[in-house]
Amino acid sequence: MTRPAPLYIVTSPRPRMGKTLLARLLVEFFRHSRRPVVGFDLNPRDPAFAGRFPRLVWPVDIANTRGQMELFDRLIAETTSTKVVDLGYGPFEQFFAVMREIGFVQEARRRGIDPIVFFVTDQSMATVRSFGELQRRLAATLVPVHNESVSLLFSKEDFPLTRPECGMIHIPRLSAIVRGVVDRPNFSFNAYMTKQPGGPTEVHKWIAELYAEFRDFELRLLMGRLSASLGGASTPATTRGRAR
Amino acid sequence: MAKPTVVVVGADKGGVGKTTVARTLLDYFTAHHVPTRAFDTESPKGTLKRFHPDISEIVDATSVPDQMRIFDTLSSTDASVTVLDVRAGLLSPTLRSLRDIGFLDAVKKGQLTFVVFHILGSSIASLNEIEDTSSFLGDSKYFLVKNFINNTSFFEWDQATHASYFRKFKDAIEITIPKLNEMAYEQVELASVPFLTFVANKGLKGESANYSFVLRGYVRHWLGNVWAEYDRVKLNEIVASGGVASSGPRVQVVSRS
Repeated sequence: MTRPAPLYIVTSPRPRMGKTLLARLLVEFFRHSRRPVVGFDLNPRDPAFAGRFPRLVWPVDIANTRGQMELFDRLIAETTSTKVVDLGYGPFEQFFAVMREIGFVQEARRRGIDPIVFFVTDQSMATVRSFGELQRRLAATLVPVHNESVSLLFSKEDFPLTRPECGMIHIPRLSAIVRGVVDRPNFSFNAYMTKQPGGPTEVHKWIAELYAEFRDFELRLLMGRLSASLGGASTPATTRGRAR
Repeated sequence: MAKPTVVVVGADKGGVGKTTVARTLLDYFTAHHVPTRAFDTESPKGTLKRFHPDISEIVDATSVPDQMRIFDTLSSTDASVTVLDVRAGLLSPTLRSLRDIGFLDAVKKGQLTFVVFHILGSSIASLNEIEDTSSFLGDSKYFLVKNFINNTSFFEWDQATHASYFRKFKDAIEITIPKLNEMAYEQVELASVPFLTFVANKGLKGESANYSFVLRGYVRHWLGNVWAEYDRVKLNEIVASGGVASSGPRVQVVSRS
């Protein structure tokens, strides 16, 4: 039997942390792997994620019940596509409050869907507190993401791993000029990867590293599940040594 | 066998959510496996009957034959709990009738358990109602219900006024029914099923339904909070007449769709 596709929630309680960039990378990674993917952009004022993938990503406003139904009912009902949610700092609190109130994680788990929260970290007290609170109150897998472009340092004591076998995600720093390239409105990571006229550039290496990071994460997740189903301890293995 | 219990749900004012509270009680007793029947006094068209047709009958509480249908059968029915959803304006007359037919004397002698859920409105008039009603309720369990489900704000009650009224009725216990998401409430209305059935994603005949997961989640969470209030006042123990309290089941989403 095929396991239902996972659900990735990319979030941070603060603005300009690289959430949409990570959500875009995930969508393109799943498309690159030829897996069906859909996305939800929870930034109603500036749906940049939906703007990038108008046929794959829907903008949703969860401030009202109708929007909440549009999002959560669809996340639960369809299990063949991997889902990527870009959760901005605006609806951050409400999203997790609704999630808890309606028992979303429990229902998702009952249906075999594994909700994974990619939490983009930084050094602020509010972010550290927010991570700890989510970890205490949410039964989902919470994965810290260290985006070097927004925060040079990462303290693993501040962001303890929910599932050590899953490790964390590391986004290497991109120079400002190169960052301008990937931010271009029509830029596609997959399209860029197919064109290497003068050999691999910084962007090629950066994308390749991140795709490898995602593959690694999926492997660690799978190994953790296998290990759990065999009744063993969590697997510390990581193919690229990223489980910090 | 536990002695019969009569639960009256009423208010002298309309639109305060009597039937909604009655519905939550029927769901609570169903979940606790307490055999229950209900009488809906909104004759000829009953709202309670629409949601719980199998266990509800529509009666005219002011007619003697219907009073006989309710009270003469208390000992012979299989149901250990009888819930009476009293139409707006009929709470005081109903309690007066109960006194006149000797029902309240039977309660006093310990032959019956009598529970009253008095649903309060936001006005001071509602507090005055308590005074009228409480004179009939010497040996009953008297619950004063602040119902927020239809967005009532108890703005007319300042703390001092509230306290001065409530001090007069030492035996009355306050219950709070929280607000339910409007759209969730509306969908349960449209589905015309018990709250519990809606949570389980079923139709009235037990068939699979296709209600929104979000709305079911809101109803489940709300119903859990309402039942927590009933557990707090030990309703299950009261209807079991001093029996061993059982820890009741919590509301769970059991849909398989």
